[in-house]
Amino acid sequence: MNRVYAVARREYLERVRSKAFLVSTILGPTLLASFMLAPILLARQRGRPLHVAILDASGALGGEVGQSLARRKVSGQERFVVEPRPAGTLEEARARLQERVVQGDLDGYLFLPRDALDRSAAEYYGKNVSNMMDLELMNKAVEEALVSRRLSSEGLDPQRVRSLTRAVDIKKVRLTARGAREDRGASFLLSLVLMMLLYTTLAVWGAAVMNGVIEEKTNRVVEVVVASLPASRLFAGKLLGVGAAGLTQFLIWAACLAAISAVGAAGIGDVGALPELSPLLLVAFVLFFLLGYFLYGSMYASIGAAVNTTQEAQSLVFPVMMPLILSVVFYPMVLSAPDSPLSVILSLVPFFAPLLMFLRMTAVSPPAWQVALSMLLMLATIAGITWAASRIYRVGILMYGKRPTFPEIIRWVGRS
Amino acid sequence: MGPIITQLSESAIQLSGVTKSFASHVAVSDLSVAIPRESVFGLLGPNGAGKTTTLRMIMDILGPDSGTIQILGRPADRATRDRIGYMPEERGLYPRMVVEEQLAFFATLKGVPRSEALRRVGPWLERVGLAEWRKRRLNELSKGMQQKVQFVATVLPDPEILILDEPLSGLDPVAADAMRQTLLDLRRQGKTLVLSSHQMETVERLCDSIALIDRGRKLLDGPVREVKARHGKNTVVLAFDGDGAFLAGLPGVQRVIDFGRYVEIRLAEGSDPQAILREAAARLRLSRFEIVEPSLHDIFVEAVTSHGAAA
Repeated sequence: MNRVYAVARREYLERVRSKAFLVSTILGPTLLASFMLAPILLARQRGRPLHVAILDASGALGGEVGQSLARRKVSGQERFVVEPRPAGTLEEARARLQERVVQGDLDGYLFLPRDALDRSAAEYYGKNVSNMMDLELMNKAVEEALVSRRLSSEGLDPQRVRSLTRAVDIKKVRLTARGAREDRGASFLLSLVLMMLLYTTLAVWGAAVMNGVIEEKTNRVVEVVVASLPASRLFAGKLLGVGAAGLTQFLIWAACLAAISAVGAAGIGDVGALPELSPLLLVAFVLFFLLGYFLYGSMYASIGAAVNTTQEAQSLVFPVMMPLILSVVFYPMVLSAPDSPLSVILSLVPFFAPLLMFLRMTAVSPPAWQVALSMLLMLATIAGITWAASRIYRVGILMYGKRPTFPEIIRWVGRS
Repeated sequence: MGPIITQLSESAIQLSGVTKSFASHVAVSDLSVAIPRESVFGLLGPNGAGKTTTLRMIMDILGPDSGTIQILGRPADRATRDRIGYMPEERGLYPRMVVEEQLAFFATLKGVPRSEALRRVGPWLERVGLAEWRKRRLNELSKGMQQKVQFVATVLPDPEILILDEPLSGLDPVAADAMRQTLLDLRRQGKTLVLSSHQMETVERLCDSIALIDRGRKLLDGPVREVKARHGKNTVVLAFDGDGAFLAGLPGVQRVIDFGRYVEIRLAEGSDPQAILREAAARLRLSRFEIVEPSLHDIFVEAVTSHGAAA
């Protein structure tokens, strides 16, 4: 047992001390955090307001459009500062504005053609015409001014019409055993993020085990090692050591995620709709990672043993990756009907369970027996798979030369 | 009764009727070899003879299909494996791992406690001249230095038996001499050394006894002196100026091996070396004439070619 520990210890330390681990472990949460927090922060800070001028050829709309623009606010701040039109004829004014935009002391100018009201048309000339959010806002401002004008000319009160035709905003509230929570799509997002995190870590650490095995084979270290301890122990030590490194990274990520969600739940400004991660869900998150890792990791390891190079591994990896990929393919179906018979069955299949059962747990609270059953089934499968994989491993690590076919590899399981 | 038991326990490694076949071929066939304790033993054979398979069976990496393997008087198993150090021909170390860590790791795999292993690292690195490389990553070392690290990894757990596949390959002449000295020191300390090598000169200088195998079968074995004596003093070494092409046609000459600066002439049984000397002296300017035992190289080549012809 001490020797299995020695192998695991080496695997763990060599990996955790590597630069790649440091970068991905720190970079991962940083990316995740910016991915989740950026929209919030972006919505709050969008830089200084735009300085624009209005060049009105219709002669009647300029004032109203200017007022409408000045009313636009984002997070309580005005978005547009309307500058006065330069003196002179239309052509002279246009030339002057063009110059100022190019010089940079004006962000742009809005041109209202003579028939702006009839055609519902306007033109914006700016330094930057790809700032979608601001231009959308400008579009709305002009539209509102034009519509108000038309309503007034029909004898209607624009204020009154606006309040009568206000858009509906349906509030989504998720009911759980622990009470109600308002949800604006964030819980869907969270389910997706958690599942993709599981998918990525399983694929990454599975491949890590495989590449470790291939590397040992290429370096011919493996023959020296199996002269000291049985291949099955080496296999166990490797799986445990790489798994421990994976778990370390995964725990750091999960902790970051919990922190982000706690901050989100505490409510940043008006976006406080990030659902919090319950402790139970976090525990399940880690458990499903571990179960998934042993299931997929041992299969990856046996492939590593069968091949000579990473390139050779590519075609054999696909059948192993397949259930992982399928889980991601099935997720919209499972998430839209988490309690349908099909979802229940899929989430019980051991190869899908790490992703799909966990996904169901994020969406609804599946009956405890289903979660327990899926874990039991996974454990049983892991026992079988690791047994077979370690037998394949034992034969494969001392084989060099032609890459074996899939059926040949399966036959190794039975070899004495 | 007594002498038999003594004889059995005198063997460090005893293979009896060992056979191992793979799907496509028989790698080792009915092989029986006794490797005496506290000696240097050479396991010889051409490529593909079954040497690696034999060594792997001794290390219990592979199990024989039939036959038995005894290590220090016990059947080969996980426990006996700890008493053997194995350096395979294809060297294997972790390229990015620090030398010291590497050595400690391989020692713990043999059951040596980590702290004890770390204590032994210093003196051994000192001995092979790598003391200042202790904290460096392996891939910062030259090939020859890595070779030494591999050797230290093998001897660090202090095994009673050392199996070394091509121990001198990759070493410059100075390092090779130092290694030879180290190997002889180990034997003096009571270790049993099993060398596998194609360098017949090395084998001849180091080994007390040998076994020669080809295509899974043993062709000959025994103490080097006996093996050579068995082949008789029927070889003449001749160095000369001039064209020696006629030598091969002389009566009683079996074979002429040209070494460039000199030739080795193998005589048929019963023929007289003096007759060769007279004939050669008459036609060439001789600078050397010597009647010797055949070299291991010669014995190896002859045994393998005649075995190949018979098969």
